[in-house]
Amino acid sequence: MTMASPAETAARRTAGLWAIAFLVAMFATAWFLKSGKIVAAPWGLAVMILPMLLLIPMVRATERMQRETGCASAVVTRYNRRMLVASFAYVVGLGGALLLFRQHDAAKSYAALLALLPTLPVFGMIWAMARYVIEEKDEYLRARTVNAALIATGLLLAVATFWGFLTTFEVAPAVPMWTAVPTWCLGLGLGHLIGKVRGL
Amino acid sequence: MKNRLRVLRAERDWSQQDLAERLAVSRQSVNAIETGKYDPSLPLAFRIADLFEMRIEEIFQRD
Repeated sequence: MTMASPAETAARRTAGLWAIAFLVAMFATAWFLKSGKIVAAPWGLAVMILPMLLLIPMVRATERMQRETGCASAVVTRYNRRMLVASFAYVVGLGGALLLFRQHDAAKSYAALLALLPTLPVFGMIWAMARYVIEEKDEYLRARTVNAALIATGLLLAVATFWGFLTTFEVAPAVPMWTAVPTWCLGLGLGHLIGKVRGL
Repeated sequence: MKNRLRVLRAERDWSQQDLAERLAVSRQSVNAIETGKYDPSLPLAFRIADLFEMRIEEIFQRD
């Protein structure tokens, strides 16, 4: 096994710090919004754009790390950019949909269409993930992602089934269906982590 | 599966990055194959064999 070079270690650290900064900023902003200390929702969702901007240096640092650790490819870069665009579109779509839904009664008749505003960017994320697996020519990197995706799918099915029965037996409250994608993404991260621990 | 990739690469004084570029794969792929964490597909194994001008079984052996 090769030792990590100083540049590799530094790139990992920088990417990690940006990821932490992004998560802290997102949670802090969400907390302030929830407590009504900045501005009440739905306009407050516009404020979420600010921590979202941290995604840009985070993705750039991640790409630098991928180059240093030898797992960068044009396909990975394309995937990162597609996810970045979809993430911004999601926040804008969600904010816009909530704003229209809460402030304009007439818009409620178009609720199904409004629901599409945050949904379409999520479709974009799913499409970006599928394109990555199709376009990635490096079979090892592809296998690693597919393994992580299988773990994510298994985890989502297990959690959804268990939670479903908890709801049936009135132990737990019903959870909105849109939580499926973030849960799957958490599973994907966990899958990559398991792969790393197992040395894949 | 065992392989002699690291030895063959060292004989040619190639880094993992050099080999990765010659095979058009990532450096992590080369590392994973060398350390036995990942067994390459038949097409990639043939590409490796072609590069070293050897037969596949001269590079890859059963455990």
